[in-house]
Amino acid sequence: MNLVVFTPEGELYNETLDYIVVSSKNNGEFAILDNHAPLISTIDVGYVKMVKDGDVVYSVIINGALENRDSTVNIIAQEAHVGLNKDSAMDHLNTVRKERLEENRRRTKDFLKAEQKLKENIKKAQASKQ
Amino acid sequence: MASMRDIKQRINATDKTSQITKAMHMVSASKLRKAERSIYAFRPLAKRLSKVLSNVLSTDSELTHPMLEARDIHKTAYIIISSDRGLAGPYNNNTFKAFQKHIDTAHEGNDEFVIIALGFKAFNFAKRNGYTLMNEDVIQVRDDIQFVDFQPISDRFIKAYLSGEVDKIDVFYNEYINTLTQNVNHQTLVPLESNPFVDTSGKGATDTTEEGFKTMYVYEPSPSNVLYQLMPMYVVNTLYGMILESKASEHASRMTAMKSATDNAKDLIETLQLKYNRARQNAITIELTDIIGGSEAVN
Repeated sequence: MNLVVFTPEGELYNETLDYIVVSSKNNGEFAILDNHAPLISTIDVGYVKMVKDGDVVYSVIINGALENRDSTVNIIAQEAHVGLNKDSAMDHLNTVRKERLEENRRRTKDFLKAEQKLKENIKKAQASKQ
Repeated sequence: MASMRDIKQRINATDKTSQITKAMHMVSASKLRKAERSIYAFRPLAKRLSKVLSNVLSTDSELTHPMLEARDIHKTAYIIISSDRGLAGPYNNNTFKAFQKHIDTAHEGNDEFVIIALGFKAFNFAKRNGYTLMNEDVIQVRDDIQFVDFQPISDRFIKAYLSGEVDKIDVFYNEYINTLTQNVNHQTLVPLESNPFVDTSGKGATDTTEEGFKTMYVYEPSPSNVLYQLMPMYVVNTLYGMILESKASEHASRMTAMKSATDNAKDLIETLQLKYNRARQNAITIELTDIIGGSEAVN
């Protein structure tokens, strides 16, 4: 079976696998094997365990939809991250999100400060009077 | 007539400004390419998601969602997508003008609508005009915008819509057509005016098997549950698509503005150079007349 994970930045993951296990907060856990009946489900926060020849890789998903058809699973996710361990992958995603929000706050602050300074400088230089 | 030194100073200043505008033009050009790429990267996801929704809705014609049903409008929310920074030509102003024109005709008072401002410019615009804002803080529209950046506000307006606090959400954004053309677009985000998922033509909207039969999906846990999960996601995705378009428009607009600024600076330098030459010639003529006058006096 084939698994494709789509994120807003494009295709994150595209591999042939033996089977996957989908686990999510809202819908619980289920496995999808080759030739599974067509299926549509959602993942609010959860992960997909991807197994091939005994090797396991996890993909954590935030806000996603899953669709299985003709032995191809398409996962559409607003945010996703692939890692070897589900906890570390989730932690990574959460840290990235947290850092991002922090950075946004800092940028807003810097921007407002810079704008204030610019206004003061314009006033000081009396640029409008020349 | 201005002195030679003054003119030279102005030439130098204009030249420096033109170097900056030229650099900004090139930066915008590369950012525009990046923005275009992210629009293309986003398309498969948007397409897949609306297909999944078509499939869900085709299972049962009774199946519906508040976001698919228009209701009486008491309060409207307007999302205005602008840039964070200026010097982008008419990009922000066009959006604001279109918005003001719309509210002048559609509303009687400012209490009939709220604004969700995306970007510093829209935030300041709403503050300046005394409109009610739904977001207390500025929401930045970064070049590499992600869902997490505007998730607090998207959660909030979806909640407001579902609880009946607002009855309609419209978006004002710039549609990117090409580097020279960007149109201000006014579109309703929710409720979806004409249901885009219901397959009326019987073609292409839902998935079919190889033999041409409709694929019968199993829904986990149920079609209505899946629909209730996916509708908000679809709306946020649509908004994200609009933000990407706006972002591309912003860079295109800034690129064009900076290009014309560079060209103008070049023209200005040419005129100033002529003036400078004339002033120099004038100075030489004066010197010559002085020398000739002096030698005449000696003779």
